[in-house]
Amino acid sequence: MDSLEVFDVESAIASEQEFYRKIIEDNLSNLKLAPAIGRIKVVLRPEDSLFQMAIILRDVGTKVTTTDIADMEAKPVAGEIIISIKKEQYIPELLGKLWERYGKANISQPDRWTVTISTDKPDQEAAFLKDMMVADPRHRLHENLVDFAIRVTPEGFRVRYHLYKGTQFIFVASEEALKREWIKETEAMLEELMKGGKK
Amino acid sequence: MAVFRPYLYTGGVHKHGLLIELLEDLGGYIIQKVVTGTEVNLIMLVPEKDIPIVKKQADDLLGMMVEAPLTGVEIAVVSPTLASHHLPHSACDVAEYLRHPGANTNMIGLARGMGRRVSLSMDYERKLINEHDIAVFTFGSFSDCIINKKPKLFEGIEIPIVVTGGPELKTEEVHGADLYVGNIGRTSHRLRKAEEVSALDKLNEGVGKIADNIRKQQAKDPLAVLPARVMNEIENQVPEIRTVLSPAPLTLQLNGVRVKLSYDEFHEKIENLEFDEGVTLSELADISKSKMKNYILIKIKSKSDVGFAI
Repeated sequence: MDSLEVFDVESAIASEQEFYRKIIEDNLSNLKLAPAIGRIKVVLRPEDSLFQMAIILRDVGTKVTTTDIADMEAKPVAGEIIISIKKEQYIPELLGKLWERYGKANISQPDRWTVTISTDKPDQEAAFLKDMMVADPRHRLHENLVDFAIRVTPEGFRVRYHLYKGTQFIFVASEEALKREWIKETEAMLEELMKGGKK
Repeated sequence: MAVFRPYLYTGGVHKHGLLIELLEDLGGYIIQKVVTGTEVNLIMLVPEKDIPIVKKQADDLLGMMVEAPLTGVEIAVVSPTLASHHLPHSACDVAEYLRHPGANTNMIGLARGMGRRVSLSMDYERKLINEHDIAVFTFGSFSDCIINKKPKLFEGIEIPIVVTGGPELKTEEVHGADLYVGNIGRTSHRLRKAEEVSALDKLNEGVGKIADNIRKQQAKDPLAVLPARVMNEIENQVPEIRTVLSPAPLTLQLNGVRVKLSYDEFHEKIENLEFDEGVTLSELADISKSKMKNYILIKIKSKSDVGFAI
């Protein structure tokens, strides 16, 4: 599936449809979500105070472990582990995990590319760290997707329903109590997208 | 009484004092003076009949003088919501753009203004908006909402209402609005495309016309004292105003001044402000606590109320 292979925005008035398409595009690029989304369809019915969205995601990367982003060296005599960073983008997540495990006092960062840990059992800890999961793109994607849904929805539509399963995501928002058929309609939109969407 | 026109002078710092002196001699007012490096920007009120003299002086100094129609106008830019997850709001650009022709703008995000059925404004918010000269409401992209649902936010607003929104609508379609400007709807980007900027230009032009209309109405029954003169006197008689760090410590309005000093501490000083003619400000104006922080709001009475004008 290509990214944004289907990008439909439907609304009764064509010009309003364009405004909304632009809002969605802007938010996709702000959250860097465009590469992760395969097909998306949004239906707007302001007269019913209704916003419906169905998304099919593309495959995203696998979990990132410490060895993927850094080289590690245990120094038993000094009681230290030295981590040399290769991919800088995951440093915040890595540091967060390390602080949680060893405490801030035991972690130092002599320069941009190096993190050192003081510990009593450098060898064992190094073995553990090697396979520690640093970041999960799927988790980040989920967060971004929810953020995206809330950002594009008209502000007043505070009653929301969302379903996130595998690569499928549906989102319904309204100002009134949600009707069952609205959710059914959105599910139908998703199914249509699964079949390839409207060409 | 002399009629004043607002002008913006941009030129070099060299000898710009001559222009200020000339203006003082003619009885005009300097509203704001901004010096940046070797450049100076002066926002001023020039007596209408003396404009050619001031223009000649500006030409001699090789500066530029352009009309700044929104000088001395305080505008409320009202958005149904200023939620952080919707930044940047188009209201931000609207407020910024209105400042170009000299206006002071305040952004007001309503607490419960969003939505269709649930949208409402509070008494406090309406009073705050009514303290301004003109209210600009920035709405979204759906014509149905703008025509049928949002106008209820105008209830209780006594000042002229300008509405911006995405769709191209006629002003008459938006009930209660004095002007509608399209193409400025909800966006998630800064307004910088050609059509968006031209819509903002249209907005400035329209707001300028409304301000002119208010001035014309005022000319029929002039204010007891010019807001700019009150501003001048406060600067001279209340030195504490120089310690205020707000961008515009004295904000001019078409019929008053907002003084950004604490009401409880300074209202007596302001009430007892003396003019050369021997009157105090409290005879000429209503002085009250502003809904904006604890500021002082001066609303000047008209000549017909006071019986005389100075």
